[in-house]
Amino acid sequence: MVRRISRRVTAVAVAALLSGTAASVSAHHSFAVFDLTSQKSIEGTVKKVDWTNPHVWVWVDVPTTGGGTETYGFEGMSPNFLARRGWSRTTLQTGMKVTVQYRPLKDGKPGGMLVSAKLPTGLLLTGGGAQQGQ
Amino acid sequence: MAAGLALGVVSIAGAQDWKSKSPTAADWSAMAKLPDFGGVWEAGRAPTAAPAAPRGGAAAPAAGRAGGAAAPAGRAGGGAGRAGGAAAGPQLTPPYAAKRQELASRGAEDNDSANCLPPGMPGIMGQPYPMEFLLTPGKVTIVIEAYTQVRHIYTDGRPLPSDPDPKFFGTSVGKWDGDTLVVETVGFSPITQLAANTPHSDKMRITERFRLTGPDVMTIDTTVNDAEALTAPWTSSRTLIRHRDWTISEYICEENNRNYVDAAGKAGVKLDK
Repeated sequence: MVRRISRRVTAVAVAALLSGTAASVSAHHSFAVFDLTSQKSIEGTVKKVDWTNPHVWVWVDVPTTGGGTETYGFEGMSPNFLARRGWSRTTLQTGMKVTVQYRPLKDGKPGGMLVSAKLPTGLLLTGGGAQQGQ
Repeated sequence: MAAGLALGVVSIAGAQDWKSKSPTAADWSAMAKLPDFGGVWEAGRAPTAAPAAPRGGAAAPAAGRAGGAAAPAGRAGGGAGRAGGAAAGPQLTPPYAAKRQELASRGAEDNDSANCLPPGMPGIMGQPYPMEFLLTPGKVTIVIEAYTQVRHIYTDGRPLPSDPDPKFFGTSVGKWDGDTLVVETVGFSPITQLAANTPHSDKMRITERFRLTGPDVMTIDTTVNDAEALTAPWTSSRTLIRHRDWTISEYICEENNRNYVDAAGKAGVKLDK
């Protein structure tokens, strides 16, 4: 219980810290390629996770109306940052179902900036790390 | 010819002016009297769970003064201080304000940090990644996780170079003023900027004062002097929090960088393999 509260406080603190400037969330680039005024949601299956610097990439296969799948790419925070906040290399694995909230790419390509990835267990993965949902 | 040769000799001699000496047992013993800067630190505010939040007078890490964001921002930083933060942006002289305007008018969507170029000073001290301080006789080394970088601060009494080669981090010397480490840095690469589109001159000099303001809280007061580019010294303060259970990780930006900005300033992202 204490640990859970502690983690939530940490997540809130991190969110507060990072809300100062958008650019300070990312050490290495701006968010020019993303439409920050828009937020979309999709459901799919994790195809692959690039647990790499400078940013984590989560690849998700999303069903298409034609019966196939389309792979979306979502850019998250750096693994260094996330690993200190409960989201580890093995938290998100190939085959897991996820619901992703994201800021879409301006050019319309499938993908965007990862706002959150929610697992069926309720675990919520964001730029501030992992938090157990309500 | 003779002059050129003479200059060459002077230059070589200059580079070797200062010889570090082998530390003695006394030098190592003296280290124990220095404040405990060791460990891994990250920009932030004091933990809310702390029973007695350290109060450093006006420099208390209160809400709104969360470290990195209120510090001088590098090219990757927004430059805007948080609400209530001490940092105003750098106030530029007319020629440098014109330069900033010219750079901004190009409308670049991003800067070369998108291509993994590190920001240099002072921006590198305000990244959302931790840093580790290593104190050894005659030197303070700051291991910076962002971009896997290192600052070398010589505390062995050597002077600053009179004509330093321009570098991203400049050239630094430090001395202890009581329990405060005072670092002077000169000689910055013109590639580095004070904030977005904000250049500095080759006269820039940065003074940083590092001190502990709580058991695991460090305050860094930074003053940027640049009589050519700034109408007044640009001062700001940031807070670092020590995380005893952290280690520094590697950060190889080129490992899987899918972001880029091209020569025309157009930002993009590579989704292909």
